[in-house]
Amino acid sequence: MVRKAPGSQSSLRAANKALVLQTVQRWGGLTQIELAAATGLSPASVSTIVRDLFAAGVVETATTTRNGRRAQLVTVSRRMGLAVGIQFGRRHVHVVLADFALHPIAEHTLPLPFEHRVDTGLDRATVLMADLLERVGASFDDVAGVGVAVPAPVEAGTGSISVAGVMPGWDGVDIAQTLSKRTGRPVYVDNDANVGALAESALGAGRQVRDVVYVRASYGVSAGVVVSGNVHRGYAGVAGEIGHVMVDPQGRMCRCGNRGCLDTVAGGAALAESVRPVLGSLTLTDVVRRAGDGEPACARVVADAGAQVGAVVAVVAMVVNPQVVVVGGELAETGEVFLGPLRERIGHRVVGNSVAPLEIVPAELGSRAEVMGAMLLALQATEVSVPVSPETAVEVV
Amino acid sequence: MGTSPESVDVLLSLQGITKCFGAVEALVDVDLQVRSHEVVAVVGDNAAGKSTLAKIVAGVLSPDAGVVELGGHPVVLPNPAAARAQGVEMVFQDLALCDNLDVTSNLFLGRELRGPFGRDDARMEEIAVQVLDSLASRIPSARTPLRELSAGQRQAVAIARTLIGQPRVVVLDEPTAALSIPQTAEVLIHVQRLRDLGLGVVFISHSMTDVLAVADRVEVLRHGRNHGSFDTATTSQEELIGAMTGARVAPRRLQVV
Repeated sequence: MVRKAPGSQSSLRAANKALVLQTVQRWGGLTQIELAAATGLSPASVSTIVRDLFAAGVVETATTTRNGRRAQLVTVSRRMGLAVGIQFGRRHVHVVLADFALHPIAEHTLPLPFEHRVDTGLDRATVLMADLLERVGASFDDVAGVGVAVPAPVEAGTGSISVAGVMPGWDGVDIAQTLSKRTGRPVYVDNDANVGALAESALGAGRQVRDVVYVRASYGVSAGVVVSGNVHRGYAGVAGEIGHVMVDPQGRMCRCGNRGCLDTVAGGAALAESVRPVLGSLTLTDVVRRAGDGEPACARVVADAGAQVGAVVAVVAMVVNPQVVVVGGELAETGEVFLGPLRERIGHRVVGNSVAPLEIVPAELGSRAEVMGAMLLALQATEVSVPVSPETAVEVV
Repeated sequence: MGTSPESVDVLLSLQGITKCFGAVEALVDVDLQVRSHEVVAVVGDNAAGKSTLAKIVAGVLSPDAGVVELGGHPVVLPNPAAARAQGVEMVFQDLALCDNLDVTSNLFLGRELRGPFGRDDARMEEIAVQVLDSLASRIPSARTPLRELSAGQRQAVAIARTLIGQPRVVVLDEPTAALSIPQTAEVLIHVQRLRDLGLGVVFISHSMTDVLAVADRVEVLRHGRNHGSFDTATTSQEELIGAMTGARVAPRRLQVV
């Protein structure tokens, strides 16, 4: 290949092309006029670049109207079709629209209250989905399937939560059917750690190996177990719910009805409560950010949580014998503050083998693992084959 | 950065605020405290005194009695300019933006930057882009005329405008009242960003879901009086609605400040 001289006409054109593509990816759908304003390029250059990108199959164009005038809407090319991933967290819902290669096209994040309601949550998720589709000029008919991740064990057959009390108000609600009725598309529901495990084992830190344990440490702690490339959910979908393993017989009551569960000492609420006497009222996000910045109290509680989670994960690792333990969720964002003690505790409690020593690594997909896994779940269930490539994982919008 | 809850900066403190309009008692002996890095929601029924309270903080109205403290010092805020000078910015319900101007001009309305050759447009646009970015806003260009923006994007511009003056406290009056859910999502993210920037935020709203999604603490007003202070981590919507409607008599203060 001929190396382009920096500052030459052709390298300028390449840079402008990349700028236009990045801008389209960032905003989901933009008209050519808006693209010119957003990139600072002239409308004529934008028009030429869009034509080139369209010819290369990178973007699509459609006619739309803006302010009553005809305009060319430019979107990232949707190879074959669309999928939607929805992640319900304890404090937010994240909705992502992507193509079959799992390249994210557009997304929304909506903060939600503690103990948010199932009707409000599902209703708002549907409206956000419709908005994302409208933004790229598509409709629900273009969506192959919708995957939903929830922070609770899910019974695969019914798509409803299988342990009462873990998500108050959501018990007995057929999440898949409710959303499917609203959207007219097939909907698949699973536990967030399970879909996170699916995504990390297919596209992320576990893609080179067969057996993976994915640990998700956030408001609650849970794990997804991948054995021989398949997620092991258990008969009622409770497999890997390590947040409800008892670690302190004298501990606090847990929402599951048991006492001293891992969640009550290493979950988000427990960490916020632990730092309250010295730092006042903080959210889990605050604790994670400050721990990452080296604030001593926050770093201490996050490190102690790492050790406690490590002790439980060690047992899982002895049962499953994974090649890697992938660590995700908010607490993993503190890096070695959480991972260091977790790694050390696992190392002390797992018998070493000479064939494939256990590795403990951070998640590669970060906060996107769950939505990507949810989409992957939906696409696998609708029998769409996903062209998996490593760069899918690191795509940045 | 403080190490104990007591030393966490109280940015804004209102004590015993009373405001009457003729025979109408809009506010009676009302207290409110806002720390840095904190979102305090003020909720209440219509005519509970929410907007009056906001206007007193922003210097639009002067209280008949009571003390306003900023950063621990008593202040008198006879007009909005005085409040701005003290680091208090407000977004009004009607936003007060100019449709015919672009985003940058709206952000700097009334406080345009001057360079050696008149208005320093380049510098203003640069700052505008930075501020919009810091809010994670979805406005592609700072040159877009305001009339082309959606209601949610306009709210984002109004919130971004508060950051131009480098404030300590931002007061938002019903920022999600007329917005669709996708637009509400964006505005709530902006509110979280303001908190992450270390500001104190007063968030006035009717929507229990929005309030509980982003606020750290909720202060309920009823007939112009404090009617309970709630930590959002441990409060249900029923408790709040009970306090707003008077079904439940809340203690004057749950949190000792």
